[in-house]
Amino acid sequence: MPLTFVGIGEVHKILKVKGQEKSKKFLESLGFVEGAQVTIVSYNQGNIIVNIKESRVAISQEMAHKIMVEGA
Amino acid sequence: MKITIALAGNPNSGKTTLFNVLTGSHQYIGNWPGVTVEKKEGNLKTNKDIKITDLPGIYSLSPYTLEEVVARNYLLDEHIDVILNIVDGMNLERNLYLTTQLLELGIPTVIAVNMMDLVKKNGYHIDIKALSKKLGCPVIEISALKEKGVEDIVDEVMKVAHQEVTIQHYFSYDIERTIEDIQNQLPSDIVLSQRRFFAIKLFERDQKLQAQLSQKIDIENLIQVIEKQEDDDSESLITNERYQYITSIIDECYKRKNQNQLSISDKIDQIVTNRWLALPIFAFIMWFVYYISVTTIGTMATDFVNESIFGEGFELFGSMIPSIPDFIRSALQMIGVASWLEGLIVDGIVAGVGAVLGFVPQMLVLFFFLAILEGCGYMARVAFIMDRLFRKFGLSGKSFIPMLIGTGCGVPAVMATRTIESSRDRKMTIMTTTFIPCSAKLPIIALISGALFNGASWVAPSAYFIGMAAIVMSGIILKKTKMFAGEVAPFVMELPAYHIPPARNIMRSVWERGSSFIKKAGTIILLSTIFVWFTSYFGFVDGQWRMLEASELNNSLLAMLGRMIAWIFTPLGFGHWQGAVATITGLVAKENVVSTLGILYGFGEVAENGVEYWPMLASTFTIASAYAFLVFNLLCAPCFAAMGAIKREMNSRKWFIFAIGYQTIFAYIMAFLIYQLITFITTLSITFEMLIGVIIMLGLIYLLIRPYPKKMKEDETYDELDFE
Repeated sequence: MPLTFVGIGEVHKILKVKGQEKSKKFLESLGFVEGAQVTIVSYNQGNIIVNIKESRVAISQEMAHKIMVEGA
Repeated sequence: MKITIALAGNPNSGKTTLFNVLTGSHQYIGNWPGVTVEKKEGNLKTNKDIKITDLPGIYSLSPYTLEEVVARNYLLDEHIDVILNIVDGMNLERNLYLTTQLLELGIPTVIAVNMMDLVKKNGYHIDIKALSKKLGCPVIEISALKEKGVEDIVDEVMKVAHQEVTIQHYFSYDIERTIEDIQNQLPSDIVLSQRRFFAIKLFERDQKLQAQLSQKIDIENLIQVIEKQEDDDSESLITNERYQYITSIIDECYKRKNQNQLSISDKIDQIVTNRWLALPIFAFIMWFVYYISVTTIGTMATDFVNESIFGEGFELFGSMIPSIPDFIRSALQMIGVASWLEGLIVDGIVAGVGAVLGFVPQMLVLFFFLAILEGCGYMARVAFIMDRLFRKFGLSGKSFIPMLIGTGCGVPAVMATRTIESSRDRKMTIMTTTFIPCSAKLPIIALISGALFNGASWVAPSAYFIGMAAIVMSGIILKKTKMFAGEVAPFVMELPAYHIPPARNIMRSVWERGSSFIKKAGTIILLSTIFVWFTSYFGFVDGQWRMLEASELNNSLLAMLGRMIAWIFTPLGFGHWQGAVATITGLVAKENVVSTLGILYGFGEVAENGVEYWPMLASTFTIASAYAFLVFNLLCAPCFAAMGAIKREMNSRKWFIFAIGYQTIFAYIMAFLIYQLITFITTLSITFEMLIGVIIMLGLIYLLIRPYPKKMKEDETYDELDFE
């Protein structure tokens, strides 16, 4: 399921990052790769803050839709 | 021995702090050639033979962002002796992703693990020896903030410079074989040490690097064989193996406490970016910042400068210190200079420049608070909070920070757009950010509000409202043109951990932003006050060229000039030479408007809000024309200094002219519409101009509601790399 469906505080594994080459690669360099664990820290009007590889990254809804994580 | 070091690392890794510690004040700041990415160079404080270049903060050496391309071209072309790679010890895993790529460049590398004080405080442990062995290069523990371990960097750099580099990390067998095949096909002009880097990047189908080769090589078949075998694209294969390698390093060298526990930063973020609390908290913080800088400390300091240093003088330890104008006047009289020269110096230059310097304390207080908000990490959250809203009219959350700075001064505001990666979003922010009233526009507001509206309390807020409305409207209108069409670049931004910013960095930021304003007072405003003084005190009387009395201003050169161009402003209601001249000097610097009108109405020196000539202003302007005058001066092209900043940041003549032209035409249309509308309401009569106004209004509404142009091809939607 897409990352946008995940509740605050839950830990999930990334299955796949979809979308355009450029944004995908940028996400990869920030640590969004297959198998990495993400935690949602906060939601704000659809945009989210996630914790990944010990850092916090803010991403917009459109991008979060493209990050698929393992269902609970 | 001369050594050049390139300082590389992730954004937020403490790179700038380390650079400042290493170089002190020996820095040169400029742009990387051809692009508007900031380039900083400096010499080591302790050893002038060592030169350090601060590369842009990057996460990778891929070709996808401007910063990455700039950084890697520099590393490949400039014969760097040593790379100093700073990594955040609190966030080792992500930071090492860049490190693995830097190590492939064949340049001796020293790794500095930063924030070791925090690492220890949080009970983490990094096995530095094992890390050094795994990565095959010296690793040093430092804390840039506390200036610990920084001397060791220099020692290690001297040791490794000019040493051979050995590869420590190999990809899986099949990929390595392909990389070797590619290496053998590379043109011979690529030096031995860089061949591996080129081969890996070409394997990833890096088109920017492919284009740099002196002769094309065809390796597509080689890549496809591996891709079929592994069922993944070549770039993902490399990325995954890199992260696997990093994981193996982390497992061996990095011990952390329960990693699923939320950190303090996470807990703060859960409150500060909470969907209900985020905006109230933000509003409160901003209210506090502006309350302090505009109404209390800032105003006290500004009043002191205006009334004491440039006014009546002040008392210090019981003795009276004269004000600067008085002091200079008496000094000039003592050496007996001609009275016209005394007038020029005291009434022209000192008064003009002094009026500008009056803003400085207020602005410095504002910049001080904004620097703290940026330094502690809150500004990044503000960008996140504002993103959804700004997206609605074609800008991103990152556009908001320049606008906040713009309430102080437009010059640092335009420079602050550098944090916006997408060049399209950035250009749009540059074009619209100066619509926000800067502190130099406040006296104009006070003047109009006091002279024509009895100081009504709604006038000043309405000016900010008009500024914001101009940004929203421009955002929508521009976004619907072909030039700016397409999605706003998706918002992805690393949020640094909250921390107390070092005082040094705050002061540096305040000084860098404030000094651009002070410099303007010393140069452009100085020249323009001389020009205004000269052209208003000289002119032809009955065909005779001579110096004029204050009462003969009607005959001055300035009046002549004003009459020549006044017709332009007739449709806006202020087609008289005073309004025209004030507007022109406003283009030089907005703070000139009030003092110019003062001179034009026959006052040598006036208060900041021009209270002396309010009655005369009320007789030359109507309510409608005064408000139109205000709107035009708020929205039209900003002052020379800000225009200069726009030109530098756009880095293109065409875009500069477009930006200034757009602002001026937009301001003209807005002022015209407002003048016609207020005239209609107050007189209830219809004129020919009003009909034109209705047509323009309809055109404007069309521009606002027309559909977005057809979506462009996928890969064109956000092209962040146009080097025009």
